[in-house]
Amino acid sequence: MLVSLNWLKQGLDKITISDEELVKLIGARLVEVEGVIDNTHKYDKVYAVQVKYCEKIPDTHLSLCKIDDGGVAEDVERDSDGYVQVMCGAPNVHEGMFAAWVAPGAIVPSTFGTDEPFKIGTRKMLGKYDSYGMMAGADEVDLGDDHTGIIELDSSVAEPGKAFADIFNLKDKILDIENKSLTHRPDTFGILGFRREVAGILGQKFTSPEWYLDAKQDFENDKNVKLDIAIDEKLCPRYTALVLESTGAEYPKTISTGATLLARAGMRPIDPVVDATNLCMLTYGQPLHAFDYDKFVAVGGTDSPKIIVRAAKKGEKLELLDGTTVEMTPDDIVITSNDVPVALAGAMGGANTAIDENTKRIILESATFSLYNLRKTQMAHGIFSEAITRFTKGQPAGQTLPVALRCARDLQAYFKPLAAFDTQKEAPEPIVVDLTLGQINGLLGTDFTDKQVKTLLENVEFGVELDGDKISVVAPFWRTDIHIAEDIIEEVGRLSGFDSIKPVLPLHATADPNSLFALKTQIRNILSARGANEVLTYSFVHGGLMAKVGQKPENAYKIVNSISPDLQYVRQSIIPSLLDKSYGNLRAGYGRFALYEMNQVYPKNLGFDDDKTPQGLPQLGFVFVDGKEQSNYYLAKKYLENLLEVLGAKYELGKFTNSATNSYYEPKRSASIVAGNMTIGYLGEIKGSVAKSFKLPRGVAAFELDLTALLALARGAAAKTFRLSNYPSVSRDLTLTVAGDTAYAELEAKIRDALKDYIYKLSPVSIYQADGADTKNVSFHLEFAHPDKTLEKSEIQDIMDTLESIK
Amino acid sequence: MATLQELKNELKALGAEYAKIKDLPADQRADFGKKINLKKQQLNAEIAAAEAAAEQEDVAPLDISAPCDINGQMPEFLTADFGSKHPLMTELDRVIAIYQSMGFDIAESVQLDDEYHMFDSLNFAKGHPARDGYDTFRTEEGFIPPAHTSTMQNRVLKANAHKLKEGKAIAVAVPGRVYRNEDIDATHEHTFYQCEGVYVSEDCTLGNMLAILREFFEKYYGQKLNIKTQPGYFPFTEPSLEFLIEKPASLGGKGDGWLEMLGCGMIHPNVLKAAGIDPTKYQGFAWGGGIDRLIMLRYQLNDIRYLESAKLDFLKEFAC
Repeated sequence: MLVSLNWLKQGLDKITISDEELVKLIGARLVEVEGVIDNTHKYDKVYAVQVKYCEKIPDTHLSLCKIDDGGVAEDVERDSDGYVQVMCGAPNVHEGMFAAWVAPGAIVPSTFGTDEPFKIGTRKMLGKYDSYGMMAGADEVDLGDDHTGIIELDSSVAEPGKAFADIFNLKDKILDIENKSLTHRPDTFGILGFRREVAGILGQKFTSPEWYLDAKQDFENDKNVKLDIAIDEKLCPRYTALVLESTGAEYPKTISTGATLLARAGMRPIDPVVDATNLCMLTYGQPLHAFDYDKFVAVGGTDSPKIIVRAAKKGEKLELLDGTTVEMTPDDIVITSNDVPVALAGAMGGANTAIDENTKRIILESATFSLYNLRKTQMAHGIFSEAITRFTKGQPAGQTLPVALRCARDLQAYFKPLAAFDTQKEAPEPIVVDLTLGQINGLLGTDFTDKQVKTLLENVEFGVELDGDKISVVAPFWRTDIHIAEDIIEEVGRLSGFDSIKPVLPLHATADPNSLFALKTQIRNILSARGANEVLTYSFVHGGLMAKVGQKPENAYKIVNSISPDLQYVRQSIIPSLLDKSYGNLRAGYGRFALYEMNQVYPKNLGFDDDKTPQGLPQLGFVFVDGKEQSNYYLAKKYLENLLEVLGAKYELGKFTNSATNSYYEPKRSASIVAGNMTIGYLGEIKGSVAKSFKLPRGVAAFELDLTALLALARGAAAKTFRLSNYPSVSRDLTLTVAGDTAYAELEAKIRDALKDYIYKLSPVSIYQADGADTKNVSFHLEFAHPDKTLEKSEIQDIMDTLESIK
Repeated sequence: MATLQELKNELKALGAEYAKIKDLPADQRADFGKKINLKKQQLNAEIAAAEAAAEQEDVAPLDISAPCDINGQMPEFLTADFGSKHPLMTELDRVIAIYQSMGFDIAESVQLDDEYHMFDSLNFAKGHPARDGYDTFRTEEGFIPPAHTSTMQNRVLKANAHKLKEGKAIAVAVPGRVYRNEDIDATHEHTFYQCEGVYVSEDCTLGNMLAILREFFEKYYGQKLNIKTQPGYFPFTEPSLEFLIEKPASLGGKGDGWLEMLGCGMIHPNVLKAAGIDPTKYQGFAWGGGIDRLIMLRYQLNDIRYLESAKLDFLKEFAC
């Protein structure tokens, strides 16, 4: 929303602070100001001038004009009367008219503040006529889109040489307001409401115009004018309609202050009726719509207008004012003439009842609609007009009649009001909120007095009664957002400035550590210190990625409104995402690397949590990638085993078993990670076909761990005990020749069993198998010592004999 | 059973069959086409199965318990200087450590939630336009990858309500991954991290909230900071505010600019009620802010997309 600072200040008491400070205050106490467009110098060197002489140049579209600029422009040639020569191509230029002249050296206002400001100068036209500056069209002074002619100024406001900006108060600053933070404040979407708030934060007492607070119809309804309104109150809480009749007066050709206000709010002047409705919307926040009365009646086939507001029917169509045809749904609200659609409520009128230059009578609509329905209309039809932006905030029903009557008064030169009709017979009871001073100060941490609270609230037209500690607050009809004590407390805090509240730290207790968070930090420390790189990848994956790794799409939650197919499914495990990110790193020149990620995964097979939301699993995924084709199983295993050992988790590697999500592991070269009788993860080589689909060489290895299970294991782990011997230790190599299919783990277990009474260290050295042989040699390096004495040579020999006999 | 090669030949031959369609009477073409397609699907499935079986046969089993390959080298870790921690996670650790030092428990946010936690329990009226501001994703079942960590408020309040009865305050920080359905560019991500804070006691005030938030940022940036607020609107807080800090010296601040850090406010009575906490006895405040933004500021990162890119070129800048 764009708000003109000049317009805002009208009607406020004199403001003693600078614009900059005012904008800061608005930002601190009302709404986020996204930016300030400074138009103070936008109309520099643009003047009102009178065309004193105007002669058409034959066979061209140009006229040679002499203008009276009151002598203000410098560096121009003047004729003997002191007039300046300007060539003008506009068809409506004529002698005697007042126009806006952009003098040489001025920036054309429509280009002011843009990347390419255009400075007007003096040109020679048709090879012989000097033309100083130019007379401007509405588009050139940024007050409309019209380029068919130049703008004409009313002689009552214009005098030669008067600065154009001074006529319309255009030395202005425009505030760009972030609408989001006013979602709950429909009343501030009109300059009146915005101004009331600014008064409040400046400590000024604001009073709305009498007619706004208490609408009085200042004309008698013409008995001959009939109009029926039928509404569904859920969809349309209040509908007011005025019938106006043309006075026959011609529309003026001159530009009005109102048109400049529309332009400052980013709208465009169209014709006096539309402009008057738009201006009322900008001023009071109440959108209005004008129907052509005779077309309305004709469409409905009735003698007098029969307005029926109802939900649209499925597939019902309506051609809108802008020429597009919408197909409506039952979520849309439609205004009908005797059941024939004539407007998409809140959004746009229909082409079938549009006013035009032949319009004799008007039905002026002023209504409120269900913001919930209009929000759906907005989304379904992509209409984001100024009107629907306001309607979707929930405009107060209390203002439909006063604003309609106000608009009729604004239009009275051209249209005479005949009758007013309104579905509201009695004003609803105002909302009253009772609270105490203690509640206010207790929630904010302040020490306001009841008098201060009363003044703050009364400044913005709340009714306030003080009774002992009790404060009774009556919300004005436009404050539809006020319901509970906290709403009032917010007003007090906001209007006085939250920033004036003294920050005071409360005493705090000690915090409980979060063990899963701590575990993840520990894992991060371990893996990264061993050269692995932690990554984060999206929680959403492409269906194609699941197909590559053999995961079933039925087991994944599908996003129905995904941004792209790349992000269509909630991932079932981490490894596929890591595989997906590996090729890019290989190609970037990293020959060998390890990636890992810890994050939540949500395969459907996990079912639901106690609160009926999908059960997630915090998972660690790790991949080891080598650009060369070779098995990385034992590398991944080394990382896994080291990690689990440091964490103190007891586990075993068991025969690989399939789960709902682990289809990417090569079963013959993979293992299940088992603790007790629970599988807590998998370790293995990625299937060759899967690696290939990611453009990765065969042999990529990975592991994954269920972090919840790991946490339970790590927590349950006994504290690590150290035993060091004070006696010399013996260093020996051991090579065992065993059958080729003997599992390494069996051998190691046997060695450990043989050494169980000693303090020892065991390191595997190599596994050797000759080509074609059916045995293999497994070598270890051992260091062992007795806990209580120095080992004798014979004892050492006995130990070695036992070890060497292991098969 | 047919060999893989035979199956492939058969598939090739089937291709030639297609050409015959045009010679058939029009009324038989559809049937013929269907039959060929069905046959083609069968063949493709058989080929895939045969290929998978062939891959299996190719694969030699390995000793899952061994330390290294037969005749292979003993594996060695990559060098430590190659490793890195993700900057977002390091930042979260930093943030969490400060909150813990200030007496806040830590609870992590879920990544797939429902309408109730995301909106209903947070006092969003059904169909209210405020819901639009969150651009949520949805699954077929109507679940929501949460668009803010506030989705955890109801759970955290319920789980800790007993503390109030014990005369203690609820003080919890909730870090988590959140999602918004928006196109990404250098400054926008659909996936990012937030940290929520929730505090409830018998008598805490907005003044307490401002003090806690200032304290957090002063510890985080290691300097005294000026703060200011702007009115905001969130259905789950009343009053609602945007919280700003003076640009810290470590980010090049010279006492002029302001940084918008988070949204905050006093918890709406309906939110307390929904969690079974009596709003006439207890009151609280809550806030939520982005973690990604802290990183963007700290490292003057010019493109937020690096964070989820898993590019080593980027990550290795954060070697540990």
